[in-house]
Amino acid sequence: MSYPAGLGIILATFLLAPVVGGLLTGLERKVIARLQGRVGPPLTQPFYDLVKLWHKRPQAANRIQIVYVYAHLFFMVTSLLAFLLGQDLLLILFIFSFATVALILGGLSVDSPYSRIGSQREIIQLVTYEPILVLLVIAYYQVTGSFMVSQARSLEQPLLFTLPLVLISFLPVFIIKVRKSPFDLATQLHEPHQELVKGIITEYSGPYLALIELASWYELVFLLALVSLFWATNWVGGLLLAAIFFFAVTVIDNITPRVTYSWMVKFVWKVGLGLAVVNVAWLYLWK
Amino acid sequence: MKRRTVIPFGPQHVVFPEPIQFRLILEEERVVDAIPALGYMHRGIEQLATVKDFTKTLYLAERICGICSVMHTLAYAQAIEELMGIEVPPRAKYLRTIWAELGRLQSHLLWMGLAADAIGYESLFMQTWRAREVVLEMIEFTEGSRIMTGSITIGGTKRDLHAESLEFLLHKLEHLEQALNDIYPVFSDDPLIKQRTVGVGLLSKADAIKLGAVGPTARGSGIAEDMRLLGYAAYGELDFQPVVETSCDSYGRMLVRVKECFQSIELIRKAIAKLPPGEVLVKVKGRPEGEVIMRIEQPRGELLYYLKAGGDKSLARWRIRTPTLSNLPPLVHMVKGARLADVPLITLSIDTCIACVER
Amino acid sequence: MAWVSSARKRSPWLLHYETGGCNGCAIEFVAALTPLYDLERFGMLNTGNPKHADILVVTGCVNARSGRVLRNLYEQMSEPKVVVAVGVCACTGGIFHDGYNLAPGADKVVPVDLYLPNCAARPEAIIDALLTAADLLAETRRRDQHAHQRAPDQQG
Repeated sequence: MSYPAGLGIILATFLLAPVVGGLLTGLERKVIARLQGRVGPPLTQPFYDLVKLWHKRPQAANRIQIVYVYAHLFFMVTSLLAFLLGQDLLLILFIFSFATVALILGGLSVDSPYSRIGSQREIIQLVTYEPILVLLVIAYYQVTGSFMVSQARSLEQPLLFTLPLVLISFLPVFIIKVRKSPFDLATQLHEPHQELVKGIITEYSGPYLALIELASWYELVFLLALVSLFWATNWVGGLLLAAIFFFAVTVIDNITPRVTYSWMVKFVWKVGLGLAVVNVAWLYLWK
Repeated sequence: MKRRTVIPFGPQHVVFPEPIQFRLILEEERVVDAIPALGYMHRGIEQLATVKDFTKTLYLAERICGICSVMHTLAYAQAIEELMGIEVPPRAKYLRTIWAELGRLQSHLLWMGLAADAIGYESLFMQTWRAREVVLEMIEFTEGSRIMTGSITIGGTKRDLHAESLEFLLHKLEHLEQALNDIYPVFSDDPLIKQRTVGVGLLSKADAIKLGAVGPTARGSGIAEDMRLLGYAAYGELDFQPVVETSCDSYGRMLVRVKECFQSIELIRKAIAKLPPGEVLVKVKGRPEGEVIMRIEQPRGELLYYLKAGGDKSLARWRIRTPTLSNLPPLVHMVKGARLADVPLITLSIDTCIACVER
Repeated sequence: MAWVSSARKRSPWLLHYETGGCNGCAIEFVAALTPLYDLERFGMLNTGNPKHADILVVTGCVNARSGRVLRNLYEQMSEPKVVVAVGVCACTGGIFHDGYNLAPGADKVVPVDLYLPNCAARPEAIIDALLTAADLLAETRRRDQHAHQRAPDQQG
């Protein structure tokens, strides 16, 4: 990759990704409201929320909590940046998990039962989806013969045709990561109905909450980019795939209640992990 | 010993619009014990009744609870009428029945919405509350206001229903029935809802009797108990059977309430068909004297009033025992051993009305 | 800054606390969130967490016990914040005014900015009050600390 192009991607990541992520969040809230027969907030609502939160008086339970919030945002931005620069997929997912771990540590650093139990649930979620991500990387390596993200662009046919089951098993991971029903166990950003109040983010307020919100936008863009990897040969296909995923998740969010974590682990490991393993095994035998 | 966490569940909490506190003692995510703390909504209504004029106490009774306000005025008016020996005109009795059933409808729909909300099913919550607005429209059209209507009074009712109001009611009931027909299969068949409710919050029939459960909580455990069978107002002339489920869990209690909505619609239709002509209000003179016990069926179960009057302007004693108070011991029994994620649903499954309990 | 006030006006997050009373206003407040009235079209969210909220909606009459909770919730909210007393009970105590354990109005416990006297307050009226509260929120530029509020460094 040429030097100016790389610089362009870095700038775009910093400036464009939050705009796209914010608009997508706004779109998602609007779609959910329409599905429920409501008018819903304007498309630019997330930006109002962000600016408002940023200018509220900061309040933190302890200093270390603040460090973890910044770490969360930093790792989230870094993983997106590395992805767009076409770096090592294994490394990227590793950094991505780091972002979640930072949030968990932040939640555990406070002596609030809501935050603590929220963090414990987040750990369970991490354990639940991490094997699928590892299998995704393995499958990716089998098809492309490389861990580099940039390799996917030079394939003859999209990854989707060789890894359809892995893509399906990625759906629950996506739902867990964007904290949507039925797997919104640890916290929800915009729906308040939780036995744990706000779970892991209960103790954050003002600007720190704004940072978590911002990180969630980067996260959304990163996850959608990861989905579009499955059709990386053609940018139209990639966008289409990401859009289908996005709306599927929004609709699923709307038609399911929250499940308990034991059910989630069972379901994701049986169905999600099962599908991914079948796909990987099939690649081994068929090749 | 495992590490125990204490979670203050309430008094301010999103799944509850009302303040009650449960100190949940957890081992991991399992509840070992629940200690309810009451008193956040105490207003001293029973004491106020001994100071206020007994006719004004009617309005106080209405404001015991905003969800079942009609039921409380009905019980109070009936109690005073029994004390003073007033015979209410038959038309007024039918009107009271219609309004009581409308009140039950809106209360049950409200509960269904909150229950959906408690298990994180936001879309269902919105749809149920949309159907509830139809009921509120009926209440507003026939009674003049959404919540505090003041339509039932001592000696009859303050309003009469004209032919066009009745037509409006019948028309809207059809709307409501359609909406409920859409909602019912979701509550009864949705696999994820079943997964969250079946077997959660078990209360066996024996336990329900022992701990004194009333209303839908008792009926969900297979006890056919319904105070409406006493035949107060016009219920004696409307033929109906209580809805009973035998699954003894949150799912059963949920189904009881959903099915009772259809039952209420039927009762309103029957009452409108049988509505006799005539006056709706008789004049009340004198002051009450003596003692009386009045029991009626609230949306949440049996409501018991004990009134004692000594011929004064105000009552000597007014004791209110509300259904939620009777259902609290079963609730504490159910919550023990439950998962934290199920606590909101179990708590809601008895349809807590803290405003009633604490008065 | 104009764009900050504009953002504040368009994204007020709510915290609802029922202090007592009959629930009527509380239920009407929840009804205002549902499809027919839909508060979210004004960007309002019912957060349920004092640390995230901008507007404290108080419904019902305040007694000694719930007053303590109300005060606690108010102190946990970050500035700028606005308190709306919904319903006549929260404004003055209403029909329960003579009760032996009640404070006559929520303003005896927390500084109330807006009063909505109604029994029970209709959802339309609640929406109107909340929009006015959002305007107030936009005007406050880190409002002066209320006299009886604890200093920030003492907050736990």
